[in-house]
Amino acid sequence: MANFVWDVGMNSTNKSEVRTAWTLLLPAIVIFALIAFYPLVSVFYYSLTDKKFASDKPTEFIGLDNYSMMLSMEFYEIPPQKDDAGKVKLDENGDTLYEDPIDILPMDPVAYWEMYTFNIFGKRYTLAATDPEFLISIKDTVIFSVLAVALELIIGMAFALTLNSHFKGRGVMRMALLVPWAIPTVVSTKMWAWMFSSQGYGLFNTVAYYLGLSDHQIAFLVTPDWQLPIMVVIDVWKTMPFMALMLLAGLQTIPSDYYEAASIDGASKVRQFFNITLPLLKPAIVVALVFRMLDSLRVFDLFQVLFGSKFFSMSSYTYYKLIEGKEMGYSSACSVVIFIAILIFSLFFIRVLGREQINGK
Amino acid sequence: MESKRKWTKVFLYFLLALILLYLIFPFIWAISSSLKSDNQLIMTPATLLPRDPTTGEVSFYWGNFITVFNNNVFVNGLKNSAIVSVSTTLLALIIGAFAAFALGKLRFKGRTAMLYLVLSITMFPQISVLTGLYSVIRNIGVDVMTGMILSYMLFTLPFTVWVMSSFFKGLPDALLEAASIDGASFFQSFYLVLLPLTLPAIVTTGLLAFIAAWNEYLFALTFTSLKQSDRTVPVAIAMFSGQSAHQEPFGAIMAASIIVTVPLLILVFIMQKKIIGGLTAGAVKE
Repeated sequence: MANFVWDVGMNSTNKSEVRTAWTLLLPAIVIFALIAFYPLVSVFYYSLTDKKFASDKPTEFIGLDNYSMMLSMEFYEIPPQKDDAGKVKLDENGDTLYEDPIDILPMDPVAYWEMYTFNIFGKRYTLAATDPEFLISIKDTVIFSVLAVALELIIGMAFALTLNSHFKGRGVMRMALLVPWAIPTVVSTKMWAWMFSSQGYGLFNTVAYYLGLSDHQIAFLVTPDWQLPIMVVIDVWKTMPFMALMLLAGLQTIPSDYYEAASIDGASKVRQFFNITLPLLKPAIVVALVFRMLDSLRVFDLFQVLFGSKFFSMSSYTYYKLIEGKEMGYSSACSVVIFIAILIFSLFFIRVLGREQINGK
Repeated sequence: MESKRKWTKVFLYFLLALILLYLIFPFIWAISSSLKSDNQLIMTPATLLPRDPTTGEVSFYWGNFITVFNNNVFVNGLKNSAIVSVSTTLLALIIGAFAAFALGKLRFKGRTAMLYLVLSITMFPQISVLTGLYSVIRNIGVDVMTGMILSYMLFTLPFTVWVMSSFFKGLPDALLEAASIDGASFFQSFYLVLLPLTLPAIVTTGLLAFIAAWNEYLFALTFTSLKQSDRTVPVAIAMFSGQSAHQEPFGAIMAASIIVTVPLLILVFIMQKKIIGGLTAGAVKE
């Protein structure tokens, strides 16, 4: 709601009011221009060049080459291996032997690298890309974000509902909720990395030992199948409290007479949750989801601290291209792609949110 | 009925205990590990309390804390982090209060547009300006510490403006009118009348800005690659390495983690009501 002040008899001061307003805003505008607007424009510009740091080669304008390098993908059919007589080779099980994709994929003018290989209709295909690492980082970041935010919502909701009931020691519980939130991500990641140690003395390996679950050590951080789930676990621990606090704040605005009336009418707790709590909590849920999703898609600390350049998020890939590769042009192009992706996501959610508010009235 | 209610209570407290354990156990494990020597750290099965490997008696080891405080990179990092976080907070509060007053209490064309601009910068992915900021610092030779403080405005300033402007808006206009009748300029009424009244909001947003700056990693890591003596504490902890390259010195890392986190937690516990209010400002519509 716009709340205009100085409505009464203030026309004489209007001019000076406007001048004061812009004077007060000036420092903030200058700072935003300096750290947001200018760098963003320069990133868009550099993304069209092949600029490299610490290189003697003069920077050239290369148009959209960086983007096609980043995003090019193509399917290739992988032919079976044939012997000298032209017959398809089979292995001992009678399955067809195929050529190695690396021998089939084109190397010139740009090299394509294998991303996924699969069989369909008796033929083998490879999905190849010019920069598979970036595309895989997009896929991993999206999977990570969706899993983490969904789990956060479920666990955060369970926590908020529990904390919303009457009990002694609410202050203690609220403080506990702030513990993961306040801890720096670098620190929480190191703490969990230590608990997930692949050695027998790691906490989770010790727990597994006591439960008799494994007679051998689980190499949590080294086994590829464990890596993404572990990051989700760490992220949920760190950021779920924010979700729980948002939902708790929303829950506390629901008048208790709604529930009293519903119980008198004989509605079960479950029905009360779906018919009263959930609809009334929807605005808070949507806001929390948007904030967390935007945050999660730009994840950096967790990936970089835990896996360095062995497992990329979109942001950590961009970082390594810039710092280790010194490829200013290319990493700028990655930044632009991330920026546009998050922009589209934001616009989409603002629209949904806007419609939500119009319908709500 | 009575016994059913009793069991519900028992179940509730059981749930609460589980939640509490989940939230604070990793931190407890870190404290316990920070008090273990290298030999105690590799005991299998691991123990909750640090114990002597041979006798099994409880025995605390303080060596990790001594190691950490003798580590120049870490101590220097603490100093750098303090400078950067305090400067960021002050700058964000001063500039933010000006802008928030204009947006919350003054009437001018372009007010809504400015509010939208501020909100959109809140959603700004930091990575998208990282390369641009890095090349400015690298090419123009901006001091790395200054570069960090200025670029931290990206995530502290919009939030400060946003929360404080809604706070200003909530203050009665009569105050401003009275001041204006008394002949005070807008600027005078701003710092003589409104600013003292918004102290609670200033404390809240200041604390949130401080924590955000203290915990920041992406910009710090990138910019300090140009000047290693400016590394902040999260970067120092991430790069902590021991004598041997293969074995991460987790005892020392945990000790450093505790040192960095405990002051933060104390601050958060004292201010918990204000922080929760500030954090959830977006969730509940007034």
